[in-house]
Amino acid sequence: MDKIKHLHWRAGFGLSVEEWMERRNWGISKAVNHLFDEAKKAKLKPGAPVPEASGAAEEATREAMLERIKDERRMVALQSSDWLQRMADPAQSALLERATLFWHGHFACQSKLSPLALAQLNTLRSHALGSFRELTLRMAQDVAMIRFLNNQQNRKDSPNENFARELMELFTIGRGHYSETDVKEAAKAFTGWSSNLRGEFVFRPGQHDYGLKHFMGESGRFDGGDIIERLLDQRATADFIARKAYRYFVNEQVNEEYVALLSKRFYESDYQIETLLRTIFESDWFYSPQNMGSKIKSPVDLMAGILRKLNIRFENEFSLVFVQRALGQVLFNPPNVAGWPGGRHWIDNSTLTLRMSLAGYLFNSAEVNLRTKGEPEAAEREKAMKKLQASVDMSSIFLLLNGVSDEQIPDVLADFLLQAPAPRFSEVLSEYLHGNLSREERIRITTMALMSLPEYQMC
Amino acid sequence: MKRRDFLRSTALASTALMAPSFLMDFQSKRLLGGQAGKKLVVVQFSGGNDGLNTIVPYRNDLYYQNRPSLALKSSEVLPVSEELGFHPALQSLRELYDEGLVSILNNVGYPNPDRSHFRSMDIWHTASDSSDYLATGWIGRYLDTHCEGCDKPYHALEVDDGLSLALKGNLRNGFAVSDIAQLKRTTDSRLLKAVGKYGATVGHHDEENVAYLYKVMADTQASAGYLHQQMQTHRAKAEYPQTPFGKDLKQIAELMTADSDIRIYYVSLTGFDTHANQKPQQERLLRQYADGMKAFIQDLKSKRLLDETLIMTFSEFGRRVKQNGSGGTDHGAANNLFLLGGGLKKAGFCNAAPNLSQLDDGDLKYDTDFRQVYATILNRWLEADAAAILGQRFEPLALV
Repeated sequence: MDKIKHLHWRAGFGLSVEEWMERRNWGISKAVNHLFDEAKKAKLKPGAPVPEASGAAEEATREAMLERIKDERRMVALQSSDWLQRMADPAQSALLERATLFWHGHFACQSKLSPLALAQLNTLRSHALGSFRELTLRMAQDVAMIRFLNNQQNRKDSPNENFARELMELFTIGRGHYSETDVKEAAKAFTGWSSNLRGEFVFRPGQHDYGLKHFMGESGRFDGGDIIERLLDQRATADFIARKAYRYFVNEQVNEEYVALLSKRFYESDYQIETLLRTIFESDWFYSPQNMGSKIKSPVDLMAGILRKLNIRFENEFSLVFVQRALGQVLFNPPNVAGWPGGRHWIDNSTLTLRMSLAGYLFNSAEVNLRTKGEPEAAEREKAMKKLQASVDMSSIFLLLNGVSDEQIPDVLADFLLQAPAPRFSEVLSEYLHGNLSREERIRITTMALMSLPEYQMC
Repeated sequence: MKRRDFLRSTALASTALMAPSFLMDFQSKRLLGGQAGKKLVVVQFSGGNDGLNTIVPYRNDLYYQNRPSLALKSSEVLPVSEELGFHPALQSLRELYDEGLVSILNNVGYPNPDRSHFRSMDIWHTASDSSDYLATGWIGRYLDTHCEGCDKPYHALEVDDGLSLALKGNLRNGFAVSDIAQLKRTTDSRLLKAVGKYGATVGHHDEENVAYLYKVMADTQASAGYLHQQMQTHRAKAEYPQTPFGKDLKQIAELMTADSDIRIYYVSLTGFDTHANQKPQQERLLRQYADGMKAFIQDLKSKRLLDETLIMTFSEFGRRVKQNGSGGTDHGAANNLFLLGGGLKKAGFCNAAPNLSQLDDGDLKYDTDFRQVYATILNRWLEADAAAILGQRFEPLALV
């Protein structure tokens, strides 16, 4: 049962009550197959057209433009909330969303226009479990990425190396496996990979350098696609991705033997992501005790996990944006192209206090008075009184506890909610559970107390 | 102690002892009766302050040509040199300047400047090259390295609800709190108290990350209690402006007066991203800053703390030399940086005025790397190993 929970946390965002009741006695291979089958059936969210960027008279003033930038920022923020809810939604493929989130952190990109953010998300989703070759090429042609890493400005007569450098350093082969000359030559190959005002990828022949490039010991009239092919032909790229996947899906402390195995399988499958992930999820070592419950949930993991387990309705549509910001992970807005550092970097006194108070806030519909960071454009530091007013629907939890005696409630709930064991948890509870409490009240309080434990931060 | 052993011993300490180290520091210090030593206060102008309208080149024709409607008239500015004068809202700062309590560095920046708020702020926080991405900040690494092998770790506190990257280290983090009373209420909630008690009872957590979380929680609870108690006994009597910034400074002064081991304080003033209608907005913020600083410095002076306090004020970038079409300015590069305090080596201007005729793509060029300022502060003020913390050696400056 612990293994099933572990699988669903790492390959998804934990189990809903219904999923838990259905799957807890499944074997691993059945569960893994089911996750991949769900992913294959998943549908994308339809994209949206990019509003015309200029030309209209009312856009001419600077104020109007600033206003639109602000609007777009709100739209992107709401989209991040949307995505979070999709991760939490048992009707969607959890594995696909998990893999998409992994690649979002890998191909980290800040998106300023909501249609571009959505287009990128759909690209990530379409290839998240497919071919890494295809995914890398699509991301090199992704408009939000092109704009984020200045490939718009990468022209034959004035090359901009930003994209080419990050492609090698962070997206494929990693530091130590390329030279400065390789960066320069790769940048030439990507000249003219640009976008138009409608937010579409365009190749501008007039800006492209058709000359010879000397890249990693080869010479030719390479374009961007040729560079990606050559980077992925290097085993170092498979090593780099396998190591990153291990640290993300298995354990931050790397086991070199298993990484080597993953890298080999990944390379030999010609970069099939499904092969890489299946190898992880179907390996015995994935389920070893030191890997289970050892990872600190990211803020998005934490929120998606809560929403998957409890039916929560927020009164304010920005509540989930606020929580992301206060806890330090806003989707579509990673801190930089290196993505979120993760692990203990999520934790400081303020984020941990909020994480542990969160269940209390939600259950009591509390007002949270916090200033959040990450809004340098904010007109001023307004006293940000943020409300987490929400209604928590416990009906599925009650369903789980149907026929469970009062004494067994804490154990059954701990089993369902926690991935890291909390021995003698009842000592916390005894502070609370006294006097004449109704059964429902007992369940509410036990749930809240479990979700306030440091152990609940683990997955 | 070798680094490996050190890491092992800290890991042990965090799993076995569960001691609120923050509190222990205070206790051990009190036993030793030691002197708290020098303090650093960092003031961050978030959004990119327009340095050219802060310290104004009021006799430079190029300034007026580039800013037909935004330039401050020479009759408006508060002149402090042949070339430069203060923004009129900085009257209070001017008074401090006249007392020899202000140093101004012009043209501070870094190679290959980035014009994104987030990125440039990260560069200032991590002290990285603009092509590198670090997950720890310069103050966090100060806490890390200064702590290594020493028996008396120091602490850094940010007056905010979230902790800035600058204060995050690999082994240690700074402490973020905007309202100590509120933090106390939160950590005193029945639930968190019960969890805290549970953590102390269980005592031993096999999983290292779980142990780490319990440690951070115990530290937070102990710190909240300690800070709250200190605040109660050291209420500042001095008058501070009734602004959020004034309130933040007052809180810092109270903690500095208290017998605390906090060596670094961090506070931000936000709203400098003045793309449109800059004048009233910047004026309001600069006035808040200057009036706050004056009250703060007078308070510290009356408590005889000024000579051991250094205040550094910076922004993630300056703004373009040319104003834009809507009475504002866009993101630029090099900017001025202020140092305030009683221990300045060279009050007044430390280097040349900005050169408006030699620009880098419309922006001021830097002549001083901000990491030289950090290196100077780390080496000479905090007596730390700047090269180890910054990862590179930077030429120190004659500042403190």
